[in-house]
Amino acid sequence: MARYAMALDYKNCINCKACETACKEENGVLLGAQNHRIWVGTKEIEGEFPLLNISSSNFLPSQCQQCSNAPCQEVCPTNATYYDEHGVVRVDSDKCILCSYCMTACPYDARYVDDRTNTVDKCNFCSDTRIARGEITTACQATCPTKVRIFGDLDDPNSEISEVLRTREHFSLKSYLGTDPKLFYLT
Amino acid sequence: MNFKSIIPIKEVSIKELFSFKMSFSNVTMAMITLGLVALFTAGAITYFIEGHHAYNVTREHPWGLIIGMYVFFVVSSTGLCIMSSIGHVFGVKEFEIIGKRAILGAILTICTGFLVIALEIGHPVRMVIYNILTPGFTSAIWWMGTLYGLYLCFIIFEFIFLIRNDHKWSKIFGLGGLLVGIAAHSNLGAVFGFLIARPIANGVFFPIYFILSAMITGSYLLFLMYGFRYKMNFPKEVEDMLVKLAKILGLLLAILMFFEIWRMLTSIYGGVPGRAEIAKHILMSPNFLVGEVLLGMLIPFIIILVSKGKNIKGLVWASILGMVGIFFMRYDLVHDTQLMPLQLLKIREYQLPPSLVEYFPSFAEIAISIGGIGVCLLVYYFAEKFFNLDYDK
Ligand code: SF4
Ligand code: SF4
Ligand code: SF4
Repeated sequence: MARYAMALDYKNCINCKACETACKEENGVLLGAQNHRIWVGTKEIEGEFPLLNISSSNFLPSQCQQCSNAPCQEVCPTNATYYDEHGVVRVDSDKCILCSYCMTACPYDARYVDDRTNTVDKCNFCSDTRIARGEITTACQATCPTKVRIFGDLDDPNSEISEVLRTREHFSLKSYLGTDPKLFYLT
Repeated sequence: MNFKSIIPIKEVSIKELFSFKMSFSNVTMAMITLGLVALFTAGAITYFIEGHHAYNVTREHPWGLIIGMYVFFVVSSTGLCIMSSIGHVFGVKEFEIIGKRAILGAILTICTGFLVIALEIGHPVRMVIYNILTPGFTSAIWWMGTLYGLYLCFIIFEFIFLIRNDHKWSKIFGLGGLLVGIAAHSNLGAVFGFLIARPIANGVFFPIYFILSAMITGSYLLFLMYGFRYKMNFPKEVEDMLVKLAKILGLLLAILMFFEIWRMLTSIYGGVPGRAEIAKHILMSPNFLVGEVLLGMLIPFIIILVSKGKNIKGLVWASILGMVGIFFMRYDLVHDTQLMPLQLLKIREYQLPPSLVEYFPSFAEIAISIGGIGVCLLVYYFAEKFFNLDYDK
């Protein structure tokens, strides 16, 4: 079984938001400011004009971190949140009771309420769409013009992501919480 | 064997059911109750029409006032259960008289709590099904819900045996209810304490604090119930009991204040991000200073201290303030936990960089929460007609 993960060469991000759009299109995410599985955060330029520190500004694409030790899974009373066979953290919308516990428990604000099912939803690495069709891509990764996103199987030593994590420095968000995310930011 | 031989209820005609002495306090109470029930109905209707959109909860602040109110009701229930057990489980004589009334109160408040939360979670029926089919044993909500279900069964049996004057079995079920209730209630505290994402809530504080503040809530409620029952003209044994209760309450309040001081100190000391700034924010907020500290703790505490617990009438009035304070304790607990934004950078062009998360309850949330009190009062009124809640020697 694969163990899917994503590496983000985030310094290449140009904040074009193509990934956000592709995600909404691929997964049928409803429009609206609260409904988003993935997002791109903006760090403002530091300093006062004209003494601006241009290099301080950057963009940080983010989404569910696919924690290997996921707080959202631990707190779910009905096991609606579960790890699938590829290690992806998914929500079974038939079991979710919308208690919102996972939303308060996720340290990354990665979950939202889907109005179609009135249950919690989040990024699942396109498991319902592309992965289910047998492809090994995600919509955001396929669409990114500057190749910020590298998606693949950690257990396959020859995969691009394994290669890049071997050769480049990287960090993950809020790693001190012990959530062990499977999203890696390349420095 | 008919129903009445199992549970002794009084014969009440429809006319008797709706008639009561037209005193000022009774009429005021009736008006408040009906007003609140109307409010609750309006809130519930809004929710059924608009669904979850009737609430102001957002992805950043998913738990709102209704969750706080649920906690408020179940804290009341556990508190009444613990306080009543002093008498008929542990055998402290003066407290035996509160048994029936307190346990009935515990049953009604927890049922109201369940009613309120059923209007908040998205799929309550599904919850019952999957709690059993695919239990999440690592989830504090699962344990809290399951144990509270069990607790409700225990206290219902306890109540039945109490009104049958069967003190052996009421004691057994009382002990069971007490133990399960404490387990359930500390698990409710753990629902917040387990949130590693929220440093202000994370830790062992809440499970213990919940038990302590439950006992305080139970004491306030007993003052209110007895104050209203006897219209401030207390028989000797009730007065003795209330003076004792006041002394216990004073001690509990002192411990609570001690707890709070150390919670604030540990939260602020060292400046841990996401914890220290929230603690400082709490210390500055009127909800905390006026609601929790002044109304919830200081005023009742000072009355007890000054009168050495003898000013029962004053304490009945102070208990109203105390309950308002307890309400703020619950609301703040839920709200403050979520104040710190979790996303690291601003995520949309038109959004300001992360500041504290904002939330104010919507009409539907306020109506359902506050109105819930009316539902509880209404059922209590009927229950008083059907059962003999006073102590018979
Ligand atoms: S990022 Fe949040 S939603 Fe995603 S697996 Fe981790 S805890 Fe769960
Ligand atoms: S909202 Fe749904 S997925 Fe989240 S903890 Fe509750 S039941 Fe589980
Ligand atoms: S598509 Fe790529 S470059 Fe564009 S916003 Fe997304 S991650 Fe950044």
